[in-house]
Amino acid sequence: MIDPLTVLTIVLMASATYCTRIIGYLVLRNRTLSPRATALMEAAPGCVLISVIAPHFVANNPADLIAIAITLLAATRLSMLPTVMVAVAATGLLRHFIG
Amino acid sequence: MSAMEGEAGAEQAPIRSELWRGIKGCIPVLLGIIPYAPVLGAQAAQKGLSVLEVPLMTGLNFAGGSEFAAIQLWTSPPHIVLIVAITFPVNSRHLLMGAAIAPFLRHLPKRKALPALFAMTDESWALGTADAKARADQGLQPAFSLPYYLGTALVFYVARVAFTTLGAALGPVLGDVEAYGFDMAFPAVFLVLMAGMWKGFGAARPWLVSLVVAALTYLFVPGARYVAAGAVSGLIAAYVLAGDEA
Repeated sequence: MIDPLTVLTIVLMASATYCTRIIGYLVLRNRTLSPRATALMEAAPGCVLISVIAPHFVANNPADLIAIAITLLAATRLSMLPTVMVAVAATGLLRHFIG
Repeated sequence: MSAMEGEAGAEQAPIRSELWRGIKGCIPVLLGIIPYAPVLGAQAAQKGLSVLEVPLMTGLNFAGGSEFAAIQLWTSPPHIVLIVAITFPVNSRHLLMGAAIAPFLRHLPKRKALPALFAMTDESWALGTADAKARADQGLQPAFSLPYYLGTALVFYVARVAFTTLGAALGPVLGDVEAYGFDMAFPAVFLVLMAGMWKGFGAARPWLVSLVVAALTYLFVPGARYVAAGAVSGLIAAYVLAGDEA
């Protein structure tokens, strides 16, 4: 039920996350950030998120490619719940009919 | 009733009502987690995490983006270095949020502020700082209401852990979630998160660099190196482009 390596990964991951929560408070509260540092920090989460899902943009079947295009369009217009619903429904239907 | 009890009561009452105000304030926000928390749990179960390991992750880490990223990249055994290395940049917005909330926490000793920061999420941060600004306008001291903020975080925490665990328990019953298109919930969540961070095309250029480099690396280099390649090249682009404008 509980794998030691999984627990280790989770604990290290959680420590990294907690560091992000306290470092800003402890270190940055009395400093002004350079525009470059601010730009880096603002861009970083998006850079990682888009990299993680990049394989979806080069899927090897048309159904998944159309589905990611629809999902992208939905995400720019809708909030979380409708976007997820549109994405899942479009993907399920496209895979069923186009394959 | 003795005078002391009376005093204690007077001090307790606002804390309880503030906590309750936070709990109520956060309820509409719960709608945002209902779609993705069970999906996260179900996908985690499919990657081999148990019904106990899923709440361990969502309960200790308590930051959605990094959990989605970790599960997406999860293997058995897990690639520890990769997962820890991506967690920090995925959650790097906390650095800015922590710096921004710091002035509101000045009245709190570190022994209270540091544990309270564990509960800092996009939602509790947004509700807590918005409330602090409103209270400051009304002349209330301290402007930042710790019990209100903790109330918002508490609801969110309990719901996230419960719904991800529910997903982990129900996921295997539903079978292969990919067949129904549920795997597209991941990119959908990521893209909505990114839409929330959108600050115009100029600011999004590093993301495009990341996307192109990560996609090409994925196509031509085996393994999960595409994440590091995409993220690092996007950050280099952000650094260079920021220099152009400064």
